[in-house]
Amino acid sequence: MEEAVFQEVADLALQGSGQLIPHSRAYLVEARLAPILRREGFSEVGELMACLKARPNSKLQSETLAALTSKQTSFFRDKEMLERIAGHLLPMLAESAGEEPLRIWCAGGAAGHEAYSLAIMLEESEDLRDHPVEILSTDISEKSTNAARAGKFNHFDVQKGLSIHRLLRHFSRLETGEWQVSQTLAKRVAVRTHNLLHDASGLGEFDIILCRNVISGMAQSARAKVLLNLARQLNDGGVLVLGQGESATGMVDGLEPSREMRGAFTRKVARNDLSTAAA
Amino acid sequence: MKSCLIVDDSRVVRKVAGRIIRDLQFEIVEAGDGKDALEACRAKMPDAILLDWNMPVMNGIDFLRALRREQGGTEPVVVFCSTENDAEHIGEAMRSGANEFIMKPFDADIIQSKFAEVGLV
Repeated sequence: MEEAVFQEVADLALQGSGQLIPHSRAYLVEARLAPILRREGFSEVGELMACLKARPNSKLQSETLAALTSKQTSFFRDKEMLERIAGHLLPMLAESAGEEPLRIWCAGGAAGHEAYSLAIMLEESEDLRDHPVEILSTDISEKSTNAARAGKFNHFDVQKGLSIHRLLRHFSRLETGEWQVSQTLAKRVAVRTHNLLHDASGLGEFDIILCRNVISGMAQSARAKVLLNLARQLNDGGVLVLGQGESATGMVDGLEPSREMRGAFTRKVARNDLSTAAA
Repeated sequence: MKSCLIVDDSRVVRKVAGRIIRDLQFEIVEAGDGKDALEACRAKMPDAILLDWNMPVMNGIDFLRALRREQGGTEPVVVFCSTENDAEHIGEAMRSGANEFIMKPFDADIIQSKFAEVGLV
């Protein structure tokens, strides 16, 4: 790939999804765009970029942006954190919510691994099973959200992070060899396609927002924008959980470390008073 | 160092799995069928067993049932590893005393994840 083409791709990613693609990862661009090139009959990335320039804001552009993002994830990724949510945070929030449903948002949730992991923990918890909890999984990639909605996972996916007991209890095997999440899990999880750079008020407000291993791949200005968008959707007392090594400290005025959970953040001011620290 | 007995009639599978499990800091012992495996266990009970289903002489299920009746035979953590991966077969393996189940084909991440599920790593 020529330098000029790489730069065009990097600019597109930065503006469209906030993703920062360093030179050292140029090889990823070709690998991630290969399926689109094949499908569209392009022989190189430059042809795809020329096409996108001629027709900006097309479906092909959103597909290209989505394809550039990482899809790497697994069930029960960072198990300890999920256990703290299910064992401590959710029971506490459930108590104060009374009969009201709790809402959880897996932001940048790829094919739904995190959302279904949470749904499994709710099913397995005597205290939480009967409390209404809505889980929303969103991703920028329509391909990923379609996969999450279908709830089908391949042989390799279901063997990473899932014990065989959990697999047998919560999934059933299809003729194709794939494993389908149970109706019970599927009912707990809603799925939407959403770009985290965009306003999220249409998704409603949440008691827990998980946005893990998403902002670390973004440019600084995009991080601040995403964190602001997420913080605005937090309920009073709601908690934002980022990935290991990711922090919101100093990024958004009014968003501060949570006292309830280490490494998590909470909104300390009214929604409208939140602002990016740089602004 | 913990030990792992790898029971599979395919030499290739034993080599591939052996390499992966050695990297998880296990000492490796190999057996080509259930009968060999039972003898290996009588000589020295391993901490973990990676067990194939279909093998000549004595298959994995028969070995597992025999193992669990041996003295000290409830100690090893048994991870079944088979191409027989429909829910009925998996259920039968678990009821026969397996602790985990790997569906073939596997890779290093799967073995590591499954060993972590049963507390081996």
